Amino acid sequence: MAQSVNTHSGVTLKPFTAEDDTNLREALKRCSAATYEAAAQFRKTGNTEHLPAIVLGIIERYVEPDLRAKLKDADDDLRVIEDLGIDSLTMMEIVILVEDVLQMTINNEELRHLRTVGDVKTFIECKVRGLPLPKPTKFIPIEQIVSVMPIQPPFLFLGEASVNAHGANAKYKISGQEFFLQGHFKDNPVLPASIMLEALGQLAVLFLIEGQVGEAGKTVDHRTIFFTSCEGVRCHRVCRPGDVLSLSIKPKRLKSPLATFEGQIRVGQEKAAIAEEITLTFGFAEEVAQPVPQVAPAEQPVALNPAKSAVNA
Amino acid sequence: MRKVYITGVGFITSIGNDAVSVSESLRELRHGMVQYPPFQKPDVPVKVAAPIRDFQTDTTDQEDWVFPARYNIRREILRGMAPHGVYAYCAMLQAVEDAKLTEADYSNPATGLYAASAGSPFLLGYHLERMRKVGVMRCPPLGIVASISGTVNFNLVSQFKIKGASTGFSSACASSAHAMGFAYDEIALGRQKRMFVIGAEDGNVESILPFAGMRALSLQTDPSIASRPFDVARDGFVGTGGAVVLVIESEEEVARRRPKVYGEVAGWGQASDGHNVAISHPDGEGLRMAIENALKYSDIAPEDVDYVNAHATSTPIGDISEAKALKAIFTESPSRPAISSTKALTGHGLSLAGAQEAAFCALAMKEGFIPGSAHITNLDPACAGLNIIRATLPQRPNVVLSNSSGFGGANVCLVFKSV
Repeated sequence: MAQSVNTHSGVTLKPFTAEDDTNLREALKRCSAATYEAAAQFRKTGNTEHLPAIVLGIIERYVEPDLRAKLKDADDDLRVIEDLGIDSLTMMEIVILVEDVLQMTINNEELRHLRTVGDVKTFIECKVRGLPLPKPTKFIPIEQIVSVMPIQPPFLFLGEASVNAHGANAKYKISGQEFFLQGHFKDNPVLPASIMLEALGQLAVLFLIEGQVGEAGKTVDHRTIFFTSCEGVRCHRVCRPGDVLSLSIKPKRLKSPLATFEGQIRVGQEKAAIAEEITLTFGFAEEVAQPVPQVAPAEQPVALNPAKSAVNA
Repeated sequence: MRKVYITGVGFITSIGNDAVSVSESLRELRHGMVQYPPFQKPDVPVKVAAPIRDFQTDTTDQEDWVFPARYNIRREILRGMAPHGVYAYCAMLQAVEDAKLTEADYSNPATGLYAASAGSPFLLGYHLERMRKVGVMRCPPLGIVASISGTVNFNLVSQFKIKGASTGFSSACASSAHAMGFAYDEIALGRQKRMFVIGAEDGNVESILPFAGMRALSLQTDPSIASRPFDVARDGFVGTGGAVVLVIESEEEVARRRPKVYGEVAGWGQASDGHNVAISHPDGEGLRMAIENALKYSDIAPEDVDYVNAHATSTPIGDISEAKALKAIFTESPSRPAISSTKALTGHGLSLAGAQEAAFCALAMKEGFIPGSAHITNLDPACAGLNIIRATLPQRPNVVLSNSSGFGGANVCLVFKSV
């Protein structure tokens, strides 16, 4: 008799019949054999360790062959639209196949914020296990970085950045116009190793400011963030004007007043520098920021933003 | 009114997948009929069809389809296409190349695209079945644009980045003749400089066999005589599919670009039977009026017409109606224009027919021949007095008419002139 079983991963397991297996093979006929294997195992055992292989295998099947190489050595920050050329209609095809294979239902609304391969994997895992969905990856353009960071040009070494619960990534292109390159070195501009470390530290600051610390309702006060220590710093590659640094940091420990990260810099596929530990100290704002009530001058129209007007009233 | 010229053609048809082989088939009267494998079942009385060669589009999964290596179609394009969408895409590439058009020439607000097809009953049926079976949210997102009528213009306008006028036409077997007529108007009135005209059909089980219900299809088992317009023993039409594309351009564009010219589109006319939803008027009244209108607007006298490419589909009633209409037009000299139905070779392409036959006329004018009316053993006495030619004539027709008639009694006559 057919019965549902709850596994300890939180997945409700339905019996996997021979007919289900035939349908699964048919549904995944254009995916790799490994994708089918992972899907069959998941359907039989409910083991969520198979989910990344299934989701990646399904995404791969919809990526044009000439772009599939990108997926092979991709990290979770590979962007679905910009890097893989997947449009919203293809995303829908991916969702329909994922729904079919994992026997789940996904709403259109939930898809809007899935920007990276990592977002998609995390989303599917949470859905399958019935966990609350995490904050999706947030992309932060340079203008916004400048407006939120305590560090400002000419000492800011972040270009566009993305932040999610698992860490942060940013790019920085060495323009050659950096003031210190005139003297570092004479007629031989090389980015100082201390600046590489500084750039990773700045990305960690952005991570803290963007509220990824995980203590609900509290905001980090940017005036309280300072460098404390670093360990295991190694440089592997000389970086010069024209190089684009790919910076990434991942939190290792986050507990007020200390935040420890591991950091890495790549130029293309080449490793440029790693830091096993960078530790910052930080503090929360004394009280949760409240909107400061503003007294509107009489002649100023106040109904421009209905939502705000309602709050003020 | 600006003059309008045909400057490019593309063919995926039952008698050839490029202009050279189509031209050979027309001259040598080589037909495209076979005993169509999907019809060879006891419960299907129809046995013959005129399928497209070198393409396999008989599965509902576009990624299984096979087409000649010269056409490379990416998955993201293919997923929104019906079988005849693929034919149209390939014929479009041929026409663009034939007319020597660059992307800058055709992707601009002065270049439009008019198309006609009945959609894809094959894919529509599959998608509806899937919707009922697995639910509305698990249907392929592009199922609609691949299968409904209009799929040809949706696809080609976006894929070729067309910026000018675009729409589809739906008058059944007169559809792409209507598309040609209205495309001519766009250029003649100065609204567009260049138009693509496309007729296309799947030509598979789902698009052909529904006509068996109305007893319109030939039940002949011998492919070489199944389609025989004007023959006394004709017993219905033979279904076909494919796609044909024509490029037509204004005289200014022809002077500027100096492309090769197949012939001039001199004008067109249309009229309706106002008689029956599916049966043509017994005296061909609507078609006669359409031809009269076409000649009047083109400023051509009946006695100047050299060749009529007839609509004649090989149905008992339809062919007689057309013969009567032609007799009523050519009263002074009924034996003057050569008349043939190239559907004896191709079968009847429904929405494809008008564009297909217009492009055949273009080849005849450019290359200097008049295709014969094949497969006639005993001419129907009702056609006596008309010059229905049974062999291809090695001469250039100077003034050509091409007739099309569709359900609801819609009739179109296109007029061409050699240059």
